[in-house]
Amino acid sequence: MSSAFRLPPSAAPRFLAKPTFFKATMAIVQKDLAAEFRSRELLSAMLVFSMLVILIFNFALELDIKVRQSVTAGVLWTTFAFAGTLGLNRSMAVEKDRGCLDGLLLAPVDRSAIFFGKAISNLAFMLIVEAIVLPLYALLYNEVRIFQPAFLGVILLGSIGYIAVGTLLSAMSVQTRTRDVLLPILLFPVAIPVLLASVKASGGLLNNATFAEILAPLNLLIVYDIVFIAVAFMVFDFVVEE
Amino acid sequence: MQSKPIVLSILDVVSIIVLGVAAYLALVFAPTELVMGDVQRVFYFHVGTAWVGLLGFILAAIAGIAYLATKDMKWDRFEVAAVEVSTMFFFITIVLGSIWARPVWNTWWTWDPRLTTAAVTELIYIAYFMLRQGIEDPEKRARFGAVYTLLGGLSAPITFMVIRLFRTIHPVVIGSQSAEAEGGFSMTTDMRAAFFFSLFAFTIIFIDLIWHRIRLGRLQDKVEELKLNLSL
Amino acid sequence: MEITPDTSGYMIAGYIITFLTMGIYVFSIYQRNKNLKQDLETLKSLGTKKTKKK
Repeated sequence: MSSAFRLPPSAAPRFLAKPTFFKATMAIVQKDLAAEFRSRELLSAMLVFSMLVILIFNFALELDIKVRQSVTAGVLWTTFAFAGTLGLNRSMAVEKDRGCLDGLLLAPVDRSAIFFGKAISNLAFMLIVEAIVLPLYALLYNEVRIFQPAFLGVILLGSIGYIAVGTLLSAMSVQTRTRDVLLPILLFPVAIPVLLASVKASGGLLNNATFAEILAPLNLLIVYDIVFIAVAFMVFDFVVEE
Repeated sequence: MQSKPIVLSILDVVSIIVLGVAAYLALVFAPTELVMGDVQRVFYFHVGTAWVGLLGFILAAIAGIAYLATKDMKWDRFEVAAVEVSTMFFFITIVLGSIWARPVWNTWWTWDPRLTTAAVTELIYIAYFMLRQGIEDPEKRARFGAVYTLLGGLSAPITFMVIRLFRTIHPVVIGSQSAEAEGGFSMTTDMRAAFFFSLFAFTIIFIDLIWHRIRLGRLQDKVEELKLNLSL
Repeated sequence: MEITPDTSGYMIAGYIITFLTMGIYVFSIYQRNKNLKQDLETLKSLGTKKTKKK
């Protein structure tokens, strides 16, 4: 083979070049968000579900004002955890069923870009649901302190940790026989630190806990987020390899 | 099928002996605790099984990483053995903890860090088996199992640390007492002997059972392989 | 000086459960081993039957 036929790199057509990690990630996020905004079926399901859960809690717990204040964080987080599971399941199932997952895997992108793309879009959906449910809850129960920036910050950090692990586990559960049913079983035991730390920190913010009492669970929440985002990033390849 | 190695047969005998000695030390040799009475004697086996339960948990996570790194099925077999044996031991830990709690704290369960983390760990183990059961392909099963033991292995210690931020009534037997802990006690020399021997005994039994479980795993793989070959 | 309560009932229950659990587990390993060995024999004889047919 003559080396005279080798083209200089600049002549290579742009569409053959490997997309950057960031571009690939954003492409996936764009695809998911665009698809969802067209049909809105995932968001509406998650929203309706969240409202129903809060309604059930209202009757199940018969909360007077004092009790409600100590229980708000727990009720909200339980709601988000369940709604989140719904979203995670649907998000991954759609990929698998339409063959998008296989298509993505064939694309010349870093596998972990797929993880980040899915995780970011899952997070976006969860945050949208939270953004609607929180004000509604505040309205229903006159709980204005929910709008503290610190409280919202804890909600964000908790959601990040939950979705990071959830995305990884949903990629696994969608490939098993039991699929949807398996995700909560796998996710909840492993996500307990996120849920507990978030409830402790956000509950503390609502109940005038000391700074130290809020800082401790917050630290653990951040540690969890960092550790599990890193692990999910490293391990995602093994979960989707053929 | 390999014949049973002599070392394993010897280990079987040794395991039974140390179990007997540990039971004797716990039930007869150690003095009766003054405040709680005889129920305190379950403590020796409670701690012994908790120790190996935890050990298995850590070994499973390490085996998981080893499998992902080498793709050698022997690590998967080791991982399954570690999880299965530890699930069994942790179950004993939780039950004994509950039995101890009843007369001492007047409750069957307490949501304190150690017991709750043990319960969460047990749930992670059960989830692990449900995950494996849902997968036909052995290679995928091994991969997913490894990932899950890794996730579980990382989350359980964090769970423990988080729950500790909530209050505890679990006694601190080694180390300083917290003001709210009841049912704590300091150990006499005889008790210490029973305590440490129990840890030693359960370690031996743990190794013995894991070895047996790995051999079972090898047999399982062989049978599965033959089934696949015959169906072709 | 308080009297030491008699909690030996709990202790006995605890130890019974302990030995029972371990015993059941050891038995399950033994049983699974036996079943697998049987399966192995069956599969081997099926294998030889197949090669004989060929």
